[in-house]
Amino acid sequence: MPSKRDDTFRILAPDGTVDEKAKEGLDLKEEDLRQMFRFMVLARKVDLECTALQRQGELAVYPPLIGQEAAQIGSAYALGDEDFIFPSYREMGAAIVRGVDLVDYMHFHRGTWHGGVRDPVGARFAMISVPVGSQMLHAVGWAMGTKFDGKEACAITYFGDGATSQGDFHEACNFAGVFKAPVVFFCQNNHWAISVPIEKQTAAPIWKKAEAYGFPGVRVDGNDVLAVYKVTREATERARAEGIPTLIEAVTYRLGPHSTADDATRYRTKEEVDRWHELDPLERYRQFLEAEGVADQSFVLEVEAEAEDVAATVRAGIQGAPPPPVEDLFKWVYSDVPPHLARQRDEALGLLEEGEDG
Amino acid sequence: MAERVFNMPDLGEGLEDAEIVEWKVSEGDTVKLNQPLVDVNTAKALVEIPSPFAGKIVKLHGADGDVVKVGDPLITIDVEGAGSPAATPVEPEQAAGEEAPRREAVLVGYGVNPEDAAKRNRPRLRPPGERKAPAAGAGTAPSPGALSSAPSPGRVAAAPPVRRLAKEMGVDLTGVHGTGPSGRVTREDVIKAAGTERPAAAGAEPSMVMPSFAGPEERIPVRGVRRMIAQKMARSWAEIPHVTTFHLIDATQIEALRRELTTQSGIKVTALSVVVRALAEICREHPKLNSSYDTEAGELVLKKACHVGIATDTEQGLVVPVVRDVGDKGIVTLAREIADLVGASRERTATPEQLTGGTITVTNVGTFGSEFGTPIINFPEVAILAIGTIKPRALVVEGEIEVRSAVTLSLSFDHRVIDGAEADRAMSAVRNLLESPFRLGALPRE
Amino acid sequence: MAEVTMAQALNEALRFSLSDDDRVLILGEDVGKLGGVFRITDKLQAEFGEQRVFDTPLAESAIAGVSLGLTQAGWRPVAEMQFEAFSYPALDQVISHIAKYRFRSAGTTEVPMVIRIPCGGGIGAAEHHSESPETYYAHTSGLKVVIPSTALDAFNLLVRAIRDPDPIIFFEPKSRYWSKESGDLVPDGLPIGAARVAREGQHCTLVAWGAMVARCLEVATAAAEDGVELEVLDLRSLVPLDLDALAASVQKTGRAVVVHEAPLTVGFGAEVVARIVEDSFDYLEAPVLRVTGYDMPYPPAKVEEHYLPSVDRIFHAVDRVLSH
Repeated sequence: MPSKRDDTFRILAPDGTVDEKAKEGLDLKEEDLRQMFRFMVLARKVDLECTALQRQGELAVYPPLIGQEAAQIGSAYALGDEDFIFPSYREMGAAIVRGVDLVDYMHFHRGTWHGGVRDPVGARFAMISVPVGSQMLHAVGWAMGTKFDGKEACAITYFGDGATSQGDFHEACNFAGVFKAPVVFFCQNNHWAISVPIEKQTAAPIWKKAEAYGFPGVRVDGNDVLAVYKVTREATERARAEGIPTLIEAVTYRLGPHSTADDATRYRTKEEVDRWHELDPLERYRQFLEAEGVADQSFVLEVEAEAEDVAATVRAGIQGAPPPPVEDLFKWVYSDVPPHLARQRDEALGLLEEGEDG
Repeated sequence: MAERVFNMPDLGEGLEDAEIVEWKVSEGDTVKLNQPLVDVNTAKALVEIPSPFAGKIVKLHGADGDVVKVGDPLITIDVEGAGSPAATPVEPEQAAGEEAPRREAVLVGYGVNPEDAAKRNRPRLRPPGERKAPAAGAGTAPSPGALSSAPSPGRVAAAPPVRRLAKEMGVDLTGVHGTGPSGRVTREDVIKAAGTERPAAAGAEPSMVMPSFAGPEERIPVRGVRRMIAQKMARSWAEIPHVTTFHLIDATQIEALRRELTTQSGIKVTALSVVVRALAEICREHPKLNSSYDTEAGELVLKKACHVGIATDTEQGLVVPVVRDVGDKGIVTLAREIADLVGASRERTATPEQLTGGTITVTNVGTFGSEFGTPIINFPEVAILAIGTIKPRALVVEGEIEVRSAVTLSLSFDHRVIDGAEADRAMSAVRNLLESPFRLGALPRE
Repeated sequence: MAEVTMAQALNEALRFSLSDDDRVLILGEDVGKLGGVFRITDKLQAEFGEQRVFDTPLAESAIAGVSLGLTQAGWRPVAEMQFEAFSYPALDQVISHIAKYRFRSAGTTEVPMVIRIPCGGGIGAAEHHSESPETYYAHTSGLKVVIPSTALDAFNLLVRAIRDPDPIIFFEPKSRYWSKESGDLVPDGLPIGAARVAREGQHCTLVAWGAMVARCLEVATAAAEDGVELEVLDLRSLVPLDLDALAASVQKTGRAVVVHEAPLTVGFGAEVVARIVEDSFDYLEAPVLRVTGYDMPYPPAKVEEHYLPSVDRIFHAVDRVLSH
């Protein structure tokens, strides 16, 4: 639970040292600890690769997640197989944990496909959601439906600090509270909603808003993967077992711009960004792993080499990838192709009969 | 004091009626405004109805357990100090003694107000075919196909402008073979159909073969009569400042006289001959109409005889044979002479003498259904009268709308020598003459 | 055969669907104990329990968004928007997600949900309870938009809508809730996407949907006294639109008047007229006219009869079209 000093729960100090009391009950095996590191490195590597791909004209736009790896990997790693992720548009790290096909995922950013996930229900990872905060309601609905079926599963929905200003945030929390929906509201407070800082977004701490909806709220150090894992694990268990939602505020920082189309130097100082670079979640975790003897230099090199390979695979897959055939677009609007759409399809495909000049 | 009936109100609860659960008052009681009267059950809710009036209860319309329909009387109250604020019902429309508007209750608002389907302010409709058919006895021109646009299941395809052309040319699309894409009737098809249909349907009517649209263009020499017409029209239009005035005339008397004379004489007496004869009469009173303008001399030449030119449509073009001394002739004679002159003109047997010397001209634009015209003066005359189509119209007769046979007369006049007031005085005289059974009847008949 | 109101028929359709498919859920404001402000869900909670039929907090965006989430958990939610104007807070969910979900997932994800929206005026209610927002929804690709005009078809259409794999906006013409019809409540009527010839005629087609179908039938009855036979086409389904039925009727009569309650400009009538011009241009004897609400916010209840298309206004339009 949150430490007394600043209400923020933390296991790893920025220098990688451990708060043993906070760590109590952490149920991770050594292989899990290594796997989370593997995912974090992979997320960092693919994220940088995608920024590069955007600069090379292969992606239309890309929203970097650099700096938020611990928040995403730690939370997603805490989920069970049946749990369902409802992301916003910056959750590539969570997608990696879920095993989402990264080339499919990048089709969204390339502008060759919309959703980023071709079978959301199968993948237990909903499509990328751009209207800010709107996906929270889907998580609540799915969680309610799952509870109706008596299944032991919960939903987790990701959103940023800016999304907490949306009406949908309030409606989703309120519904979850009223219906005791097994859902975890995972807010990555990365301090910036494009150019608007958190101070201008809300006058109250985000995690405290939970109280008004009748369920617990937690603030966690979002750059501490173990702390994130632990609070999320507890939240999912509460959700599945008792139908108690949780609002988690993971305090982290968006080291990159809002998107590749953004120029963050217009609204924040280099000093601020540098300060957060020193709190890099990967470095903190690596120090911990090496200090604990769970990983060594060679493991780190091996993991980085693996990540290079995956990044190369994503690059190869997305480079020059074509959009879907135009004909397919017409098939996907409805379960069938109604007459008015069939006409438009025929027109698009140039199948209309010639002539009939007026 | 006045008795007022309070009807079962629309309680906005979605039902058509309500059951009286319990009266809280009795007949003879005195009630205050908004005093609870009765509990009713709408099946959705138990509702207490407060009294809309202060006064003494005269009658309860229904006992506990009865079902009262919305809008039916619920209670009658003898209202004290009628007209006082206390007696004013909350809802003026549902005032006591009046039928509440019969609304169908819904759960929100006043409820549905079913529209009264009884006629209020709406036109009488006519099926399209009926509407388009020419009025019986109107123009003399036969209209092939009779524009029967009565729809049939297998309707013909044609673009709206082509339909319009077909109507204008009197072509019934039903029988036309379409040569356009998907069997659509084209503009050309209509023109072709008009060319083949007309002689068969119109008998003696000269065939109106339209030029083919095939090829870039076709050049037709403008010679002979056509050239003369062209020159004359151009000169008239260039030199004479034309003004046209229109007068709608009740043609009932014209029609009656024409029919009477036709029966008596055995020859077809047309409205044209009646109007021509009347015109001569007016020319006596308004001699300026019957004149020519000698610009060189700067003189208006009033003619002492009235020779009326009859604009005639022939194969060669417009020809104007002249009926002489109209003022001296009877209507039947004029009818015969006009028929002969028109026939001769069309057969090109009219003598030059028959085609010249007019003092004023009449053109029967109504032949093809035209309502009125802006005719060009037959130079060097100063006036020309156009007769529109004669057909039944809605006229206001003594404040009532009546269906009357009517015609619009259009007079174009030379504004250099005739003023508008003068022309309209003359036309007014024409109308008075043509609408008066006595004056019309007094014209020479034979 | 029993006489049934449209409200009862809708209630029976929901009852039928809840029995027919145990994945069907009903949610909305006041749909539980109260049975909805129009009683369309009357007694359903008592019969099917509080999990199948449940009240939600007063939040329309959530009703829509949560319904979408429920579909992803395998349920078939039937959400009620209490009034048409209360559906606007949910437009973001409807437009940005519900309509697009199948498309964005390359056709792999179905969104089998129905949003029921009472619509239309003529009930003497507030302006926010009297509007006709069908165009907003019909303009949103991915939604099917239907609206019944009679009790029996209301039953048929709602059962079919609930069974449909696509998200459906189901409009309910409030002023017809208490209109009655005799017959059996069976879901074997016309499918979604088919228009219905409500009355045959040869001189002019009146195209309408919802409450205006009954109004057009009144017009047709009155016109028949003048010897004019009007055909009344009840669209039933705005999306998909029955292009064939529309063309067949207009090509038969050569004339058409479109009637709707919503304001004129960019109303769905504009779409209907455009389709007529595209498909039946060569059969038109006259311009196609529209008789609609005026381009203004919905007026106060006491003057709404001047706003809604009346028998007289439709008559005048028909007269213009016939005399063209």
